[in-house]
Amino acid sequence: MTRHHRRRFVAAVLAAGLAAGAARAATPGETIAGAARRVVKLYGAGGVRGLEGYQSGILVSPAGHVVTVQSTVLDSESIDCVLDDGRRFPATVIGVDPRRELAVLSIAGEDLPSFALPGATEVAAGAGESVAGRVAAGTRVLALSNLFAVAVGDERVSAQHGVVSTVVPLEARRGAFEAPYRGEVYLLDYTTSNPGSAGGALVDWRGRLVGMLGKELRATTTGVWLNYALPIDEVALAYREATGKGPPPAPPSDDVAPFDAGVLGVVLVPDLLDRTPPFVESVRDGSAAARSGLRPDDLLVAVNGRSVASRSAVQKTLAAVPDGDPVEFAVIRAGEIVICDLGPKPAARRDP
Amino acid sequence: MSERRACLVRPWRRAPVAFVGRVVAAAILALARLAATAAEPDLDEEAAFQAAAAAVAPSVVRVEVAGVSEAGLSGPAEASPAAGPSTGLVVGADGWIVATSFAVPKDVTQAVVTLPGGGRRVARVAGRDLARGLVLLAVDLPEGTSGLAVPEAAPRDSWRVGQWTLVLGRAWSAVEPSVGVGILSATNRAWGKAVQTDASVSPANYGGPLVDIAGRVIGVLAPLPAETAGMTSGTELYDSGIGFAVPLEDILRVLPRLQAGETLAPGILGIGYASRDPFTAVPLIATCRAGSPAAKAGLRSGDRIVEADGRPITRVAQLRHVLAPKYAGDAVDLVVERGEGGERVAARAELVASLPPWRRPVLGIVPRRTAARPAGAAPAAPAAPAGVVVDWVWPDGPAAAAGVVAGDRVTMIRHRPAGAGEEGGTLEVADAAALGGFVGGLEAGDSCELVLDRAGTPATVTLTLGKQPALPPANVPPREGDPEAATIERLEAAEIAKPAWVVTPATQPETPLGVLVYCGPPGAGAGKGAAADEAARLAAGRWKAAATRYGVAVVLPVSADAERWGREDIQTLARSLDGLRLRRPLDPTRIAFAGSGPGGAFAWLAAEGLGPAVRGVALLDAVLPRQATVEPTEPGRSRAVVFGSLPGAAVGRVDADVRRLDAAGYPVGILPELIGDALPAETLCSWVEALGVL
Repeated sequence: MTRHHRRRFVAAVLAAGLAAGAARAATPGETIAGAARRVVKLYGAGGVRGLEGYQSGILVSPAGHVVTVQSTVLDSESIDCVLDDGRRFPATVIGVDPRRELAVLSIAGEDLPSFALPGATEVAAGAGESVAGRVAAGTRVLALSNLFAVAVGDERVSAQHGVVSTVVPLEARRGAFEAPYRGEVYLLDYTTSNPGSAGGALVDWRGRLVGMLGKELRATTTGVWLNYALPIDEVALAYREATGKGPPPAPPSDDVAPFDAGVLGVVLVPDLLDRTPPFVESVRDGSAAARSGLRPDDLLVAVNGRSVASRSAVQKTLAAVPDGDPVEFAVIRAGEIVICDLGPKPAARRDP
Repeated sequence: MSERRACLVRPWRRAPVAFVGRVVAAAILALARLAATAAEPDLDEEAAFQAAAAAVAPSVVRVEVAGVSEAGLSGPAEASPAAGPSTGLVVGADGWIVATSFAVPKDVTQAVVTLPGGGRRVARVAGRDLARGLVLLAVDLPEGTSGLAVPEAAPRDSWRVGQWTLVLGRAWSAVEPSVGVGILSATNRAWGKAVQTDASVSPANYGGPLVDIAGRVIGVLAPLPAETAGMTSGTELYDSGIGFAVPLEDILRVLPRLQAGETLAPGILGIGYASRDPFTAVPLIATCRAGSPAAKAGLRSGDRIVEADGRPITRVAQLRHVLAPKYAGDAVDLVVERGEGGERVAARAELVASLPPWRRPVLGIVPRRTAARPAGAAPAAPAAPAGVVVDWVWPDGPAAAAGVVAGDRVTMIRHRPAGAGEEGGTLEVADAAALGGFVGGLEAGDSCELVLDRAGTPATVTLTLGKQPALPPANVPPREGDPEAATIERLEAAEIAKPAWVVTPATQPETPLGVLVYCGPPGAGAGKGAAADEAARLAAGRWKAAATRYGVAVVLPVSADAERWGREDIQTLARSLDGLRLRRPLDPTRIAFAGSGPGGAFAWLAAEGLGPAVRGVALLDAVLPRQATVEPTEPGRSRAVVFGSLPGAAVGRVDADVRRLDAAGYPVGILPELIGDALPAETLCSWVEALGVL
């Protein structure tokens, strides 16, 4: 938090504390109007086979920096950026954070209404605030976006309301494509997973920026459509990385090859179905698994505390454990949970 | 200050008292926020949401299915939509947790529960509530640990449609529950089994609580459909703004039974109504099944239910509201009106979980087709005397043995029970539907007395009921008519790209027609242009003679996909039949689907899709499709099933299907070899005529 921010935060707390009842709170309409001025509609490539050619963006500097999601919409010769007042600017991509799938666009504007991201070095007078840190589950939040492109010309973007449902790591996919970002996101209790919503602003009931709306993705665990937003601190980090003001962007995490549990001396029941339960078929004598007390017919329920419902989940979860870190299985044996400590994870090469 | 605000503050004062041990920290935090934001009602509400969620969170657990029983190894883990973690709610401090059948499907005997503190425990399935799609899990708590946090139930009289409600789940994270907010949309949904909310209910929080603003639990979120068809149906409603919860009060009422290991099934009374639309039908018992709870309580076909559990009843839907929440073993107090005088008879019936399949009993007469009238309406033409005129008598059937002949009018039927001193029911026969309903409540082997009007002379015969034969007799009497006058046309309708062909006999327009839907090879009849039209007409023309002889409209659907019959073809077929019904009156007792090869499998699935309206299915060179569900028969839901093979085709292996259908109560048979004609028009159309047997 910058000194500037801290001063403002203190002032806000004082104001809330002292003026209880005296200061008139903004109506929801005023809050929406204030925040919507800082949200833009983006039009680019697309329009074929279910891919929309439009999305949303958030102005984060008065000089015309816009954050949005990286998508096929931006794969265009010309990207149009339409402001709340109907002004139309050509936009160019000036940076990308491939891991968080966030792109920064630039438009040639001046003194534009914008949100100040946390940690911003220069904050213009009148800039919209961002929340400090994360908000809790149950916080009321508004989503402002170019939802279904129903707002045309100088029409204001659409507003939806609900609450933050929870904060969890993103485990999602779009078709067969797994989302590269695995960090935490806000899940929302209302439907923002719609064409055009991605890149829109999530603001709290005071109009402070809370996050950026994400793409249309399905949860890998339950298969339901996710309504999620990237928290503001991650947006700020991504913005700095994409504009070269932060550490160089990390390459998108490639899918790690599944780790064969056989290396630990465990043979699981063969994969007859997509979701064969991870029963232990046999344990190799003298192996780490044998030393841990693992037995045939044990049913694995967790690897290092993470639930594993199938054989493939075991291998995937094991793959995510760094070499040398301890491996711990939770198994069901005769109706009881038994913990088996398999020691440090060896390199992923089966010994002869 | 608005009323809503007042509501919001009042329970707040009570909440800390109720949850002192658990939520002090959350309450202090929330109260502090409440104080700091007193000028902003919207933020007051936000603080109240968070406090209510915090109050219940310690009772919300994560539920995962770990492995499946041996029997289910090839099934549920793959087939179940519960592919990921789900949620459960603590209902007993010593380890009792409620979850849904969606999360813990049948055949699964154990689950893994992650308690709010983070500890994983193995849970066994203690009991199931099949009527509400819930399951009770039991976990053993480690020695010396304190009990689980049991939430407070929101009493029924506190529910107000429009009040704030929260939904909690633990599927996303075992550490923090997910929270959603909405309002109570309705109470008394799903025939009184559930309340409705517009908060986001999905597989991510099934099994979690629906919470009021004071942190009390209204119900347990479940994928309960409006019509409880299957355990997991209703899941398609997620993200729709419709979510259901089973009231916690109702769950707690049966908790001791579930804890004792019971499986609670929906209660069955064993009666069938004259009409299938519960909102218009008067609760007139068309069929009172032999041996059913209703029959044991002394109810009879023809009785009219006027009271159930002290509530006045005028429509079937009202009765259903009383019956649907009940379990097998529960009792219902009924009052019926009987006979001309409207004698009031009180009866108490104890509901059962299941009845044996219904094997449709018959007299062996085929009534003359008459124009249909709406169910429950008085006979239209007072000129026509009441009763059922026998068109033809089934050769070697019960009526034939008793000497009933064509032209007799059945005016009364009396059941003669075997037991001495028992009094059987009597029905003044108004029409064929009423006679069919009465007979349907008896059983093959029962003895009946028929009062006949034979050319103006009364006669009485006694006969023993038989079972409905699946196959038609050899000599079904044909009708007069010129086959060449039959018309062949396309059943054009809006939004149908490939309309079916229909062959309509030129019989008197007011006589209801039987319907045979015949599904041939996919893609047949789909061609465009004059030549293709001519070919299709030529093919349809081969049905003209049989259609005329037996008064049957023959519908030849065209598959949307030239390669296969598909789901969308069922929709098209349903609309084609609606279109046909607008042109000609149809006989509801004679609607049958048939097909050969892939068309046969499709015919079965289409019949399932269209439900009890389809009274017969013929599969030629086909067996039941893999996805067929063979529901046990009950009055109003049975159909004759015949198998056959076309000349030259290999005989299918139908033995297993025949046994399966017979066990479920269906009349089932194998047609004699269809020789000579590759198109078994004569056999199938006479079979449709024979389906009208009573």
